[in-house]
Parts: sequence; C-alpha cells; structure tokens
Amino acid sequence: MSFLPDWAEPVLRYMLEVGLRGTLQIAAISLAGSLLIGVPLGTLLTIKFMPSRALIRLYIEVWRGLPVLVTLFLVFFLLPSLNPRLEFDALISASIALTLWGSAQVAEATRGAVQSIPKEQHEAASALGFGWIGRHVFVILPQALRRLLPPLVSLLVNIIQTSTIAQVIGAPELLESAERQVERLAAPPPIGIGEIKAFPIYATVMVIFFCISFPLTRLAAYLERRLA
Amino acid sequence: MDILAVTFDWSFITENGDELLAGLRRTLEVSAIAIAGAFVIGLVLGAARAHRVPVVSQLAAVYVEIIRNTPILVQIFFLFFGLPQIGIILEPFTVAWLAVTIWGGAFNTENFRAGFEAVPHRFREAGFALGFGRLTTFLNVTLPIGGRIALPSSINTYISVVKNTSLMYVISYPELTTTALNINALTLQTVETFTTLAVSYLVIVWTMSASIRVVERRLALPEDAR
Repeated sequence: MSFLPDWAEPVLRYMLEVGLRGTLQIAAISLAGSLLIGVPLGTLLTIKFMPSRALIRLYIEVWRGLPVLVTLFLVFFLLPSLNPRLEFDALISASIALTLWGSAQVAEATRGAVQSIPKEQHEAASALGFGWIGRHVFVILPQALRRLLPPLVSLLVNIIQTSTIAQVIGAPELLESAERQVERLAAPPPIGIGEIKAFPIYATVMVIFFCISFPLTRLAAYLERRLA
Repeated sequence: MDILAVTFDWSFITENGDELLAGLRRTLEVSAIAIAGAFVIGLVLGAARAHRVPVVSQLAAVYVEIIRNTPILVQIFFLFFGLPQIGIILEPFTVAWLAVTIWGGAFNTENFRAGFEAVPHRFREAGFALGFGRLTTFLNVTLPIGGRIALPSSINTYISVVKNTSLMYVISYPELTTTALNINALTLQTVETFTTLAVSYLVIVWTMSASIRVVERRLALPEDAR
C-alpha cells in the first residue's frame, strides 16, 4: 500500500482488525438472537388466542417503537441499576439491544410469511397426523422461510449499520475504532502525528460500510424479484 | 428475593419537567424541519427517478444508494467531525436537522419513486390524450394517485426520522435523549430518567403510526374505499 501516506496503514489495519471484527461480532450475535426469538414469536402470533397475541404485540411495538439508541441506554444504564447482576460489557449490551429490536422485526415478518402459506398446507399436514408443533416446524416454517429470506437480508444490512450505535458506549466496533485513531493521530509524536485526519478516516468508514451494504441490498432486491 | 425492586419517584417529573419539555420541543423542531425537507426532496427526486429525467435521475440514484448503504451515525460523524477539517464548520443544530433531512430525503425518494411507478401507464396516456403536457399530467394524474400509494411508506420514513434525532446525542445537541442523559448524570435517578425517556418516544411513535391508518382511510382512492 505504497500509494497511501505513512500514517494511513496502521490506522486502516486497526480499523479492519479491531473495528470491523467487532462490528461483525455484534452483527452475528444480534442476527442469531433475532432469529431465535423472532421466528417463534412470529409463529405464535398467528394463534388466535388473545392474551398471548396481546403480549407478543406489545413486545413488537415497544422494541420497534423505541429508537435503538434508547434501547441501548435501557440495557446499558437501566438494567444494572435494577439488579447488579444485569451488568454487561459494551459489546454484549449492544448485541442485546440490537437483538430486542431485530427480533421484533423478525417476528412481524415471520407472522406475515406464516400467514401467507395456504391453509391446505395446514390441513394436509394435520391429515398426516402432525400436531401443531410438528406441522409448523416441518411443513409451514420451511415454506415460510423462503418468503422470509429477502426481508432477512435487509434486516442484516440494517443490523450491521445500526451496530454503529455501540460506539456511543465505547464498544470496539468500526466507528469507535475510527474515532480512536482520529484522536490518536491528533496527539503529538511519537504517539500521533499532531494532525487531525477526521475527514479521510470517517470517509473510509463510509466506504467500508458501503462495500458491505451495497452487495447485500442488491441481493435482497434480487431475491425479492425471484420470489415474486 | 426481589429481582426487580422498582420504585418511581414522581417528584422527578415536577423537578425536571421543564428541562425535559425543552428537550422534547427541540426533538419535535428538528423532526418537523427534517420531515418537511424529506417530503420536498422525496417528491422532486422521486418524480425525476420515476420519469427517468436525464442526469437528475442518475444523480438521485447515486445519492440514494450512498445514504441508504451507510449508517446514519457515520454520516453524522462525517458532517460534524469530518467536515471541519476541510473548513466547513457546522453548528450542532445545523448538523441535527441537516443529517436527518438528507437521510429522510433519500428514503423518501425511493418511497415516492415506487408510488409514482405504481400508477398504471394508461392513466398517464389518458392525460396526454386529453391534451395535458408532461408537467400537467404529473400534477393532475400521477401525483394525486402515486402520492397516495407512497403515503404509508413515507410516514414510516418520517417515524424513523423522529427516532433518528436521538442520535444527535453524539454531537451533544440538547434534544430529548441528550437532555435525559444529562439529567441522569446529575440526579442519578436512572429508573425515572429512562422510563420517562422511553415512554416519551413510544407516545410520539405510536401516535404517528396510528395516524397512518387514519390518513390511509381518509385519502384512500375512491375505488379502494368501497
């Protein structure tokens, strides 16, 4: 990378090795958590039993309604004040906040996908002797998953982008790593170079996020067209 | 043992109410500017995209892709911490409304483009057959029909705009979230602060989503209202 100025190489390496890695960690945990919680909740939402539906609705509307930053503050500041055992480090707190928000999105999408499966599929599965759980796990959800794929790819893009809010509580993700490097470079030598390099560094952060998001949004659009 | 021992000290509201209301007012102020801006941007660029106006359409596509594929928090950092390096210094208030306007405008361009493109071609052809020009056809045919189709998704964008104003915490603009965090740092009344903060946002957001249903009913196209 000889075309880059001397200061740029260690900055870029730190952003990719520490920052990008943290971003992908948060995104992976949050996506897995969102699916684990969201798919069952969304499926249960299709049962016409008022109390369970009202509870799941409340869960969805609260975590979709709050700005994710506020949810992050609830997890990071409010939970430990309720019980000291509910204190998590910044990376885990961010993953929890994103999981709450993501699972609400997944639940809503799953409900739509499950309800779009024709009722003959339910009847055929019942006729084969499947109970409610077997019917949904083996017959309905595998078909619903196909329709769920485009919104899930969009959700992944959203989760990756929204994971930047972890910067606010100092979790080591891409934006935080960039901010640390801007501050380090502003320090006098030998630590930094005594110059502010905020413009190229934050521009680079935008470029990295674009390179991750753009192919994924294209993929989501392509999947949507193919399924339509 | 008690896992959640919660008490809510109601005097918190009387003691910090004025400050919180001032924060809420700034949140609504920034949101109002951004919603108006996003509406105009979405309308103009959405029309240019849908009708493939040369140059403008391509530039709009680039704008939309850049904004939608980068996190808004990074855009805020870029505006507030990056631009001063090349001599552009913006006030926190300016960055606050500008960032959410640019962001909302990009999403709204897509909303309106989709709405205008959903208007059947034969409607526009009917307009031309009646002797309307391109602009008159757009104003009298495409806009009233496509605008209504785009309405629910554009209100969803406005809801996201309001929620995104909370990110102005990183530039210390004293809107609702920043105000609440400052009060928390002084009073240490964590339960009261964050409950009030969360409830305030839910009231705003839930009111706006309820308005989608009202507006949809009132503005439904005659043939859908049956």
